[in-house]
Amino acid sequence: MNVTIQASIRILVVDDEPAIRRALRAPLLELGFQVTEASRGEEALQTLRGAACDVVLLDINMPGIGGIETLRRIRAVAPRLPVLMLTVRDGEEEKVEALELGADDYVTKPFSTRELIARIRTAVRRVRAPIRPEDAPIEIGEIRLEPVKRIVTLRGAPVHLTRKEFDILHCLMSRAGRVVTYARLLTAVWGADCREEVEYLRTFIRQLRKKIEDDPSNPVYVLTDVYVGYRFADAQMFQEETGEGAEQGGGEVKDSAADCEAES
Amino acid sequence: MRGWGQRAVLFALESALGIVAVALVAALAHWSQWLLPVAVLLYLLIVVPIALVYGFWQALLVSLTAVLVHSYFNVRHAQPNPAADPANSITLLAFVLVALLVSRLSSRVQKHAEEAERWGRQMQDLYEFTRRTLQMNLHVEPGPQLAELVHEIFALEAVVVFDADLHEIYQAGLWETDPQELAQNVYYFETSDDDEETGLGRRVLRLGTVPVGSLVVRGDTSPLTNNAIASLIAITFDRYRAFANESHLEAERRTEQLRATVLDSLAHAYKTPLTAIRAASTGLEEMGHLSAGQADLVALIDEQTGLLSELTTRLLTTASLDSGEVAIHATPVGVGSLIEEVVAGLRDRLASMKVVIDLPNENLVLHCDGKLMGMLLTQYIDNACKYSIFGTAITIGARQAKNEVVFSVHSFGAVIPMADRERIFDRYYRAAIKANRAGGTGIGLSVAKRAAIIHGGHVWVTSDEVEGTTFFAAIPTVGLKG
Repeated sequence: MNVTIQASIRILVVDDEPAIRRALRAPLLELGFQVTEASRGEEALQTLRGAACDVVLLDINMPGIGGIETLRRIRAVAPRLPVLMLTVRDGEEEKVEALELGADDYVTKPFSTRELIARIRTAVRRVRAPIRPEDAPIEIGEIRLEPVKRIVTLRGAPVHLTRKEFDILHCLMSRAGRVVTYARLLTAVWGADCREEVEYLRTFIRQLRKKIEDDPSNPVYVLTDVYVGYRFADAQMFQEETGEGAEQGGGEVKDSAADCEAES
Repeated sequence: MRGWGQRAVLFALESALGIVAVALVAALAHWSQWLLPVAVLLYLLIVVPIALVYGFWQALLVSLTAVLVHSYFNVRHAQPNPAADPANSITLLAFVLVALLVSRLSSRVQKHAEEAERWGRQMQDLYEFTRRTLQMNLHVEPGPQLAELVHEIFALEAVVVFDADLHEIYQAGLWETDPQELAQNVYYFETSDDDEETGLGRRVLRLGTVPVGSLVVRGDTSPLTNNAIASLIAITFDRYRAFANESHLEAERRTEQLRATVLDSLAHAYKTPLTAIRAASTGLEEMGHLSAGQADLVALIDEQTGLLSELTTRLLTTASLDSGEVAIHATPVGVGSLIEEVVAGLRDRLASMKVVIDLPNENLVLHCDGKLMGMLLTQYIDNACKYSIFGTAITIGARQAKNEVVFSVHSFGAVIPMADRERIFDRYYRAAIKANRAGGTGIGLSVAKRAAIIHGGHVWVTSDEVEGTTFFAAIPTVGLKG
């Protein structure tokens, strides 16, 4: 684990359950994060006013104003502060709502600490990464996408994609590691009128997988977040697998929220 | 015999009254001569009321007497031959005719009045019977009450009611013969008639055209009343059955609702501790510095938490399905992508399995709630994972058949006994396959069934040694609204 980047990461954990906060505190501290806690949304907003933090873990179901409203208020003052929602399974509507409101990601309870930390790192890295030109090539795993030339290569060999397939892939890759909701993806590629046409999107994703995945029924790049959206595999994952340093890879993923929003 | 005697005495008395009256008038006329010319009119005045009140024969007797008495006094007033006097025979004839006419008229009116009264009484009885059956306590079988009511209200000698559904006989009053046989014969031979001689009324109780029992009464009723009684009893039987059914369903629904509520709150209560445990155990792992043994134990905690969590999620799912709170979001869903999505969701479980997707029409689209259908397929595939023989493939298929899309999940595993093929879809039921005891709660397939039913579809399973086991779910392509 690379302690140097984590040392400076300040996490605000917002959950009304003391047990969960306690279970998170020790490992996060041990791994070098700075942890602040809040048990309510109201308290979290107050804390944020007083002290800066790098990432917020925000429970959706809390008494008081609740997670969604807290997120809304955080976004009003800090549009770029990474916020990770803690959700429950079957809470798909909430997940989508939170993502639409600008949450960076979500983890489903009961989550594993490893997964949580990976998501935290991704979120923080994204914010801290130097802002790169929008049309810089993106390379994740063995896939390389050049926005300007509209070329995609897999292991160096060009992959022929239709215009829409390319747009989808571009939108997903530029937000790699983060889930893109159906509605956002549809809006980005087809326009706001098509934001409900999930079935349409599925068909395109299927075609896309056939072209870039070795085993389309067991994808490693274009992943499904059931009932929520799609997520392009995190660059970090491939770098860890290939034994490269975490720092090098992070830069490949450019700040993409702006990118995708610009398209839509 | 006694009736005859009484009637004869009554007849004699009534006639005597008239005769005495005639004699009195004759005597009076004899005494005061001025009455003599109107004596005949006075006799008539006696004959008419007698005919009116007592009847023709009494009046005839009185008329004869009057004529005799009249002619007797005429003789005393020096009439030569009374019998030869034609006036006498004419008087007699007039008397007889008047008596006949008056008595006929009177008896007809009386008969009408009596009949009307009888009808009125019967209507009243029927009204009373209707009222009482409507107020009847339907928590208990209505048969005994009905028999008693008919017996009491219509003042019958004996009543027997046969309920074919419960195969019960209810009787009231005194039966000389075996009422059970009597009533059952009426039901089995469907004979509805009225026997004037024995006073027996037989009726088949029907709801619409369906016989539901029989009624036999003995006593003074009319066929029409018997019909009405039979209808009322049949309706009461029906009401009882509907009521019993309804309260049964209501009780079942409440139990189910309670169970769903308990499940739901339990599952919710489990979520937080589970999350804390998982975060803690995986946190330990992340913190490192664990010996091999410690790491193994932490992994075990994590694994078991995963199982508990899965169970909780399932409980929550069933609870929400059962409580009827499921809002259906029906949209056109591509069957292919639905299957893909489900398989993606089960990737961890399916990692060691060979999965074949058999989809003849890749563009098959079904109008359904994708999430619910996903749940159904997940349960089927999960089940196939649990019970299939290691190394065999799981085949997930979907094809259009007439008005429905039939999903199938096929695997090779222990054969599901015939007796279990329906019941495995019931909650908490687990087939007694000892050889292949897999972890599970016995909830999953009931979720699948509920999901199919909500879509207006149905589920079934086929299983044999050679063909393997296939779980099916047929979902209508049309029919789901909203």
